[in-house]
Amino acid sequence: MVLGKFSYRKCFQRSSPEKSCVGAGGCKMTLRILFRRAKVLPLRILPSSLHFSCVSAVLSRSPSLLHPYLTGRHQPFSISSTRWVTFSIQDGEDFSERVLNSQLPVLVDFHAQWCGPCKILGPRLEKMVAKQNGKVTMAKVDIDDHTDLAIEYGVSAVPTVLAVKNGNVIDKFVGIKDEDQLDAFIRKLIGP
Amino acid sequence: MPPTGSGEQLRARVQSLIDSNRVVVFSKSYCPYCVKVKDLFKTLNVEINSIELDLMDEGPNFQAVLMEMTGQKTVPNVFVNKTHIGGCDKTMQAHDDGVLQRLLGICTESYDYDLIVIGGGSGGLACSKEAASLGKKVMVLDYVVPTPKGTKWGLGGTCVNVGCIPKKLMHQAATLGMSLKDSKNFGWEYEDKVTHNWSTMKDAISNYIGSLNWGYRVELRNKNVAYLNSYAEFVEPHKIKATNARGKEIFHTAATFVLATGERPRYLGIPGDKEYCITSDDLFYLSYCPGKTLVVGASYVALECAGFLAGLGLDVTVMVRSILLRGFDQEMAEKAGAYMEEHGVKFIRKFVPIKVEQLEEGTPGRLKVTAKSTESNEVIEGEYNTVLIAVGRDACTRKIGLDKVGVQINEKNGKIPVNDEEQTNVPYIYAIGDILDGKLELTPVAIQAGKLLARRLFGGSSVKCDYINVCTTVFTPLEYGCCGLSEEKAIELFGEENIEVYHSLFWPLEYTVAGRDHNKCYSKIICNKMDNERVVGFHYLGPNAGEVTQGYGAAIKCGLTKELLETTIGIHPTCAEIFTTLSVTKRSGADISQRGC
Repeated sequence: MVLGKFSYRKCFQRSSPEKSCVGAGGCKMTLRILFRRAKVLPLRILPSSLHFSCVSAVLSRSPSLLHPYLTGRHQPFSISSTRWVTFSIQDGEDFSERVLNSQLPVLVDFHAQWCGPCKILGPRLEKMVAKQNGKVTMAKVDIDDHTDLAIEYGVSAVPTVLAVKNGNVIDKFVGIKDEDQLDAFIRKLIGP
Repeated sequence: MPPTGSGEQLRARVQSLIDSNRVVVFSKSYCPYCVKVKDLFKTLNVEINSIELDLMDEGPNFQAVLMEMTGQKTVPNVFVNKTHIGGCDKTMQAHDDGVLQRLLGICTESYDYDLIVIGGGSGGLACSKEAASLGKKVMVLDYVVPTPKGTKWGLGGTCVNVGCIPKKLMHQAATLGMSLKDSKNFGWEYEDKVTHNWSTMKDAISNYIGSLNWGYRVELRNKNVAYLNSYAEFVEPHKIKATNARGKEIFHTAATFVLATGERPRYLGIPGDKEYCITSDDLFYLSYCPGKTLVVGASYVALECAGFLAGLGLDVTVMVRSILLRGFDQEMAEKAGAYMEEHGVKFIRKFVPIKVEQLEEGTPGRLKVTAKSTESNEVIEGEYNTVLIAVGRDACTRKIGLDKVGVQINEKNGKIPVNDEEQTNVPYIYAIGDILDGKLELTPVAIQAGKLLARRLFGGSSVKCDYINVCTTVFTPLEYGCCGLSEEKAIELFGEENIEVYHSLFWPLEYTVAGRDHNKCYSKIICNKMDNERVVGFHYLGPNAGEVTQGYGAAIKCGLTKELLETTIGIHPTCAEIFTTLSVTKRSGADISQRGC
């Protein structure tokens, strides 16, 4: 039983996902949602033609975003807490902005609700990223919510993790890795 | 009819005319319709070879050969690039639909896609992938309209999401419960308190299905099939409107279309059905254990669901209007039903629900069902936590704009009549799977039909789907596998005196030590006495019915006879071996119960 469980490293198509599920903390999730909403505001204040259509679209969907206390956190650099280093991708535009146009290297964790191994890797990755003192961020992409992105980036099995620097995918792995392996992967991405 | 020898020769001559000319019109010089067809090709500036049957001695013989080949005796009889078009009307229609131009390779209109498949179920996916691998530009559209309860699911169709897959997994959950009981007799000792957790089972199955949905999506990408999660409907010939979940509309055109929209469960049309009842579309994703359940209907869906729910320890009642498993061998159906009854499923026969009321909300809540006898004015009431309706399924053909392009449907059941090449009355539109009128509603059939259709359309193949002798299995608690004809159908086709039925009860070895179900499993073959006792019907009621039936299905495809079965040596000890030793005919009335080895 135990052997079977550990030999299972990733969810390929048609393979049964691992049943055990170590979910990410619920409270963290709420904070992440706040953050992700916060980011659209500065864009409204400082509109650029590039992002304007996206902003208006988001704002029209969620008028409550205008709450004043949310302003000010418009760049990852200004974030003091490491909790903000991980965020969930909202859509294609969001992916462009926070992953491809990011000035920091980004780990992209393609995951799925139905994937057992993802639920082990996700928190482990978050922990490792948090240790990097803001030198790297992590974008989480639910492949069922953002299928087009996953398809575009060639995801076949989950978890798939991409290392993105200056908008380019420079490295990738599929399946579970232990902390040492993740550390090496992240160090390579950050560079010297 | 000409003599056989010259018939063969004639046939070869006709075939060579068809093969060696771009367009052949078998015609009669005085026929105005023939003139019309010839004029059409003239306007298209296409050279034709016109064979005037009335001006040649062999004309009538040619006509007889054509009748044999095409089922058409009249003229004109038109062939374009070796493809039979038909008479004047068919040729004009083919021209209007652009099929003629495509066959002639003078397609003036260009479409976005070579093929658009509507429906991402087993059939649609198989067809689209095959067409794409033959180098065609293909799009699939798939959209799940949520159930009245709000349940929806991903890519892959009924089988994957709300049919075969979750059904068999839940059946397995129930079977394990039975094995757990048996295991005590085999020496396993455990605390007596055994419970089943619905959520654990449901989540595990949903997760597996989630991985399948993703797998299908990846396969489409890998095969370069364009995919849209949108609802498709025809707006004009060769053109569909695709509407996504946000209501955004886009239009696409294609030269050829395949309809593979499948079916959805039917409701009863009584007060409270859509508000309070569920169907198999909801059951597999129910977030709570359904509790005391009334299953309405006696379709295989009804009996399978009732069977596994009872196997999970629930109090289950099945309300049956008339017979069990309509269309299946009734002796087998009754035996499968009787086994369920012996294992705790209650049956209310000859009653139909007339009203469902909610007594209490909840997960599950409490419902009151009022039902009326089909034979008298008797009315009964019952209280259940869940009411599952499984009274049949309706083809999803009435809201996809088929009227806009002139595709005919059978108004009674919404199904689509097709010829033996899955072509609808509109030549560029084909249909496969559960929506076909008078065909089998089985996933592997849809897959086979879809694949073969793509090969015929784009791969130069002429292989048609063979809908005869397809095996299937009903996963009732005691599984029922069959292939070929039911006893009733065999009698109807061949006459009672011309068939021989061999049958036997059997006791699986696994049941002996477990001490259960002596002489409940049953095997039966129906042989055609006029054809060397060829096996025309195969029926098995017992464990692992699918596994047993599949192999015999291959043998039946190869023309299995009773004698061949007798010369086959069985594997001992198995259930499947019973078919190699069947010796008692039903006609003899001899005892068929089994004792020992």
